Amino acid sequence: MGGSMRPDEDELDEEIRGHLALEMKARLERGEDPDAARLAAIKEFGNLTLTRDAIRGVWRHRWWDSAEALARDIKLAFRTLRRAKGLAATVVVTLALGIGANAAIFSVVRGVLLRPLVNRDEDRVIYIRQTAPGLGAENMTFSVPEINDFKTRANSVTAFGDFSTVDFTFIGLGLEPRTVKAGVVGGSFFEVMGLRPVLGRLLNAQDDGPNAPGAAVLTHRFWTTALEGDSTVIGQTIRLGPRTATVVGVLEPSVPYPADTEIIANVVTSPHHLGATMVTSRVHRMTELFARLAPGATLDTARAELSALHTAIVREHPEAYLQRADVQLRVTKLRDQIASPARTMLLVLLGAAAIVFVIACSNVANLILARSVRREGELAVRAALGAGSGALRRTLLAESLVLCGAGAVLGVVLARPAVTVVARYASRFSVRALDVTVDPSVLWVGAGLALIAAVLLAYVPRLPSSNAPAGLGLTNGSVRITPSTNRRLRMFATAQIAFSFVLLAGAGMLLAALAALQAANTGVNMRQVIAFDIPTSVSGLGDPSAINFYQEATRRVSELPGVEGVAVGNFVPWRDAGSYGVGFQFTVEGYTPANGEENPLGRMRMVAPRFFAVLGVPLIAGRDFTDADRRGGEQVVIVSQSVAQRLFPNGDAVNRHLTWTDPVFLIYGKPTPSRIVGVVADVDDENVVPGPAMTIYQPVWQLGVAGRLFVHAAGDPYALVPAVTRVIRNLSADQPVERAATLQDVRAAVMSPDRVNAFVMSGFAGIALLIAVVGVAGVLAFSVSARTGEFGVRLAVGASRAHVLAGVLSEGVWIASMGIGAGAASGYALAIVATRFFSNVQLPGVLPLTGAAAVLVTAGVIASLIPAARASRVDVLQALRYE
Amino acid sequence: MAKPHDPQRLELLQGTLDMLILRTLQWGPQHGHGIGQAIRARSDELLKVETGSLYPALHRLVKQGWLKAEWGISEANQRARYYRLTPAGKAQLSREQNRWSQLVDAIGRVMNPSPASEE
Repeated sequence: MGGSMRPDEDELDEEIRGHLALEMKARLERGEDPDAARLAAIKEFGNLTLTRDAIRGVWRHRWWDSAEALARDIKLAFRTLRRAKGLAATVVVTLALGIGANAAIFSVVRGVLLRPLVNRDEDRVIYIRQTAPGLGAENMTFSVPEINDFKTRANSVTAFGDFSTVDFTFIGLGLEPRTVKAGVVGGSFFEVMGLRPVLGRLLNAQDDGPNAPGAAVLTHRFWTTALEGDSTVIGQTIRLGPRTATVVGVLEPSVPYPADTEIIANVVTSPHHLGATMVTSRVHRMTELFARLAPGATLDTARAELSALHTAIVREHPEAYLQRADVQLRVTKLRDQIASPARTMLLVLLGAAAIVFVIACSNVANLILARSVRREGELAVRAALGAGSGALRRTLLAESLVLCGAGAVLGVVLARPAVTVVARYASRFSVRALDVTVDPSVLWVGAGLALIAAVLLAYVPRLPSSNAPAGLGLTNGSVRITPSTNRRLRMFATAQIAFSFVLLAGAGMLLAALAALQAANTGVNMRQVIAFDIPTSVSGLGDPSAINFYQEATRRVSELPGVEGVAVGNFVPWRDAGSYGVGFQFTVEGYTPANGEENPLGRMRMVAPRFFAVLGVPLIAGRDFTDADRRGGEQVVIVSQSVAQRLFPNGDAVNRHLTWTDPVFLIYGKPTPSRIVGVVADVDDENVVPGPAMTIYQPVWQLGVAGRLFVHAAGDPYALVPAVTRVIRNLSADQPVERAATLQDVRAAVMSPDRVNAFVMSGFAGIALLIAVVGVAGVLAFSVSARTGEFGVRLAVGASRAHVLAGVLSEGVWIASMGIGAGAASGYALAIVATRFFSNVQLPGVLPLTGAAAVLVTAGVIASLIPAARASRVDVLQALRYE
Repeated sequence: MAKPHDPQRLELLQGTLDMLILRTLQWGPQHGHGIGQAIRARSDELLKVETGSLYPALHRLVKQGWLKAEWGISEANQRARYYRLTPAGKAQLSREQNRWSQLVDAIGRVMNPSPASEE
């Protein structure tokens, strides 16, 4: 109602004009001269602008007045803070660190965990996975018969999309011959995923089956980087291993899932996919499965239906599922599946960033509190001059707004490069992080955090209370420190130490784990052995031409100067981890599994003669493979020490026989036993944390599946790379020679997420520690300066300077110890809570805990050194006069 | 502030302007100028309302719902905003009048104590 009555500017002017006209008329009627009457009327009205402002003021909201007052206060705050530059700078930088870290991490969290995918109706796309918790296999993928069972029986999804990853030797489009990672998909894949082309078309149902022509889609990244967005590639023919395919389109930019491939091709391009093994073997699992929810179906109904189907399938084919594997079906939304590996890591980072923010705030609160105690006189004068407590708060709020605003601006500036760093780091866990960019959410988070900090900080200082007359503060400007202020200062300092302790202990835990990893003995020569990927398109097991190629390559490379030994194999330790699953079932002569137990699982590796010598793995019993262990000869194997000890407790493994019994091999007919000719030391090539390894080595000259070349160099291994590449290209011009790296570097690359984890956490802990040291030093410096008189008196009555020094130092140590105690208690409580939400919560060991405590006590001592020195140097006479 | 050159003029007591405006409008709708003139005339030229206070006060009373404003044609043949008392304004006037007479009464007793109340 009031609003409708409100006059606009024109009406206001008209009313005033009307008034002037009436006044003039009255004066004219009294006989005044017209010009004089007009002037008099205007003069009598007074200040037009002021009146108009006053009328407008009537209609304004009350908050407008407060805002105006706040603006005035902010102007004042700028002037006040310019006089306290040191404090302002410390506060701004501290807040900037806290705000910047949070804004950066939040952008990445938002980009990776919360942003929707580009896929059409992305929350209808689900990802289906088979796990074997009993074998520790997170994802054992699916075989074609399993997928066909789902396709024929499921009703809760409209279609299934399948995707398997294959390495092709890629030739064409004017690029160097090389191995590309390719996705092989059925015709429904892109429809299920809801993806569109940016050029040409994607694969559809007509590309399915063994008789369709080869067709391939390029991924956007490959097209834009390797091919520089050349649109003439459409329609060109490329060679993929033994087959050819036509480039039919380019995929839109999208999250590359389940694998970051360069091309995606139809089934006909991969001979393997058309082979009997792939099509008929229920245990030949290499395919990832996606589906689109049917209308009306939800994730829960689909999960219920598919899980029931899966249980039925497992029951129908008991031979295909190891009982102790405890195979289960997992159904998740695609988006959650893509984000899940990064989730824990990002939440931990977010937690660490939040802790840094809390520490930064409490530190700033401390500085402000100390300053406000010094300002009690000023506030008391203001209160005495009639400033209400609201006005005083507003003054404080204005100052903290200015400080926090500046902190937020600097923080957002810091956040921009930090987002890039964190995103690159997070991309090791989730491909989505690659697309994270700095977005306005950084600004909002920064501004929000600054506002929270500002309001908190404005309520930290105590106002001069009305019932305790501030006589002292008014008369002299000296610092009076009350017990309650002192308690608050200490509380904040203790809290900072406590939070720093949590971060330091966490970082210490990661560092300790990293150190243990790096120090671990892997059992192989790490420095001098360099591994190459030399994949060939093998047409089948024991392909004679492949065997010839690798034998010739071995011979020629070993003739190079600086080469001490050469051997081929099929598995680069750690780098190829997981590519052969968890292992295959086997049995040995004279071994009967206990009742209900299933056959043991062994890792199968193909190695050439001298492989163990080249890698430096000791031969414990028997002999190495020789060139005589070849096709058509007696089938022989070498086993690792763990196999020998577990299955032949009497130490008589050599010359006994071993048979693969895994259903995967049934396709090759009835398995034949192989004679064990040697026993070698364990090499855990799957895990960077070495454990026992049940490994069975087969002679590569008998089977012909190799693809990896190991060279033992006398000098710098990398110096051999050009020569080795040349020798192999001489043998076969189109042969890719890739990924040359020493075993040391291979392992380091696999461990690098651990290293980056430790590095990032240490960074956070370092920032926290720095802020906490500043905080403790600030509190003690303040307390010392407030107690100058006390120290003077103490020194005057005979206390030694050393005693005073020790007193202040012990205060610092006391704050640190209290903080460590509080940190340990709250950290433990936090871990207990965390175990409810995360399955594998680790508590730091004794070493990281004591290390963190030692660092903090040292920090406490360092922080208190300067104030302590100042306390012990107090001039007695001056101090007493001062009081 | 009483103007030094006009010692006869009285300063309005704080809070009484609203009451005077409401009282003036009891005789019928009037524009701002007329209200100012009326107060002046009825106080025998002793009270002069500054336009700088009068108009904000009028708008404040409108905002509070005690007055209603509407445009009309003034005797100067121009559009002018006429203010009219609302029922709520009437009630407010009687409240203020009561308070005022109590105040005058109380102050009067203090200033001129009657023998009966002095004891």
